[in-house]
Amino acid sequence: MLRYLRLLGQWALDWIGALGRASAVWFRSMAGLPRRGDMTLLLKQVYQIGVLSLIIIVLSAFSIGAVLALQGYTQLARVGAEESVGLGVALVLLRELGPVVTGLLFAGRAGSAVTAEIGLMKATDQLSAMEMMGVDPLHRIIAPRLWAGMICMPLLTAIFNAVAIGGSAIVGVDWLGVDAGGFWGGMQDGVQRWEDIGKGMVKAGVFGVVISWIAVFQGYDSTPTAEGISVATTKTVVYSSVAVLALDFLLTLVMYGDFN
Amino acid sequence: MPVWDRAASRGQGRPIRWGMPSHCKARPSARLARVPYAAMSVSDGIVRAPNRLSCWATHQVTDNLIEIEGLRFVRGDRIIFDGLDLVVPRGSITALMGPSGTGKTTLLQIIGGQIRPDSGRVIVDGHDVPKLSRDELFELRRNMGMLFQSSALFTDISVFENVAFPLRAHTNLPDEMIRDLVLMKLNAVGLRGARDLMPSQLSGGMSRRVALARTIALDPKFIMYDEPFTGQDPIAMGVLVSLIRGLNESLAMTSLVVSHDIHETASIADQMYIISDGRVIGEGSPKELRDHPSTMVRQFMLGSPDGPVPFHYPADTFLDDVMGDA
Repeated sequence: MLRYLRLLGQWALDWIGALGRASAVWFRSMAGLPRRGDMTLLLKQVYQIGVLSLIIIVLSAFSIGAVLALQGYTQLARVGAEESVGLGVALVLLRELGPVVTGLLFAGRAGSAVTAEIGLMKATDQLSAMEMMGVDPLHRIIAPRLWAGMICMPLLTAIFNAVAIGGSAIVGVDWLGVDAGGFWGGMQDGVQRWEDIGKGMVKAGVFGVVISWIAVFQGYDSTPTAEGISVATTKTVVYSSVAVLALDFLLTLVMYGDFN
Repeated sequence: MPVWDRAASRGQGRPIRWGMPSHCKARPSARLARVPYAAMSVSDGIVRAPNRLSCWATHQVTDNLIEIEGLRFVRGDRIIFDGLDLVVPRGSITALMGPSGTGKTTLLQIIGGQIRPDSGRVIVDGHDVPKLSRDELFELRRNMGMLFQSSALFTDISVFENVAFPLRAHTNLPDEMIRDLVLMKLNAVGLRGARDLMPSQLSGGMSRRVALARTIALDPKFIMYDEPFTGQDPIAMGVLVSLIRGLNESLAMTSLVVSHDIHETASIADQMYIISDGRVIGEGSPKELRDHPSTMVRQFMLGSPDGPVPFHYPADTFLDDVMGDA
């Protein structure tokens, strides 16, 4: 019994220690920005993290939009409300699926890459070399990746939503023959700017911060060995995914009001 | 950033300018700091100091660049250093040797401020390194360089950009001047023609030389070499030996070399330290150490396979082991 208590205590202490280190990484990275030459570093990371994630985001969005239209049409056609498929798909995407699926894909594609890159730089002494040259890797390496992640995630979510709605329109209107006026009109009438689009983007922003933070910290705090980098990369994907799903529930609870 | 009000060239060797910011005049105890020409930046015709520590040189300058007293460092249950004392005179090449796992690289990390010791004084160029803040530490490091065993080149940029990296990070020099400086540094290590290659296209010896060019880019006062000869073929080793000696003399630097290669290191070192069990067990010139009274020091210097450092890992007698399960 005592042994389990000791293990639990050790686990809790490790977590608190990691949280403290992660907070230090966050505040030191964010301090003093922007600096000379930061824009070039930031743009490079926006390309690496954002632009290179576009293919998987667009493909997934189209597929999910198309599937949502198929499923929605099947159910709504039973009650003769197939024209509402546009509104239903849009609400599901803007409020929930857009930010959440983009977050999960972003963690898998960009988060893991950032962790592996920073971990490998640590293992090959590149971060130490930078420190010994009087250049703070938190400003030079970590901060641009953090900012890029926070900028790209909402943009990728917006692209995901747009492509997914386009995919649902192709399936619903062009293939299944739903009336185009009803499809788009219902969407225009039913979707609210702040309530649906705005709050969805708030979720995307929060997910962007959390995923980027987890990714850079896991890389920076990794054990500089092949196994250590492997563990850190896995942790990034697992922690980010769990954080996205848990935060989605909390944010929905807070932002969408009274569920009593 | 402070504006320098005095600049002059020292007549001998390469040009080195001296000076201090005007607001330092109020501090008569301050001594003039030496800042290499390459480390200064020029914009709008004004020469600027590269960093605050260099121009606020209020510390006492002694004959020793590094003074370590009573260093104690414990990692987990293991005592790495227990009362270690070491001195590196300015302008010298000092070698640090000892059996594997004695903490030589750890000592370099402590000197560079990457690790804080449990106790003891680590004075580098008048600054007590463990007591410096993070910002002060980064400024001190602009005057020191470290050549890593793995070279630690930035793999996503070319050889030229690797050498230009510290210049771009710490100066406002125009691109043309950075180009000239980078080519000078690469020429010094014989790799001017490799400037457009990527680190992945370099051999181990070339990587080490590019890393050396990057290390001297800002003309540091002091360079630490971590196992510079490891894994090098005889030609590359000879090149590195002559480069370390040549750079130390031509740039008036101080060098601390961690190495296992007795012959190469002894050929360039002014003084050597042998470390074992967390303490210095022998110090002196290479010749003095070869005739040292300690059998352990002599075993290390002569490379004898058995002696005070035993060939066998501690175990029961061979007979007991073999007959044990019979």
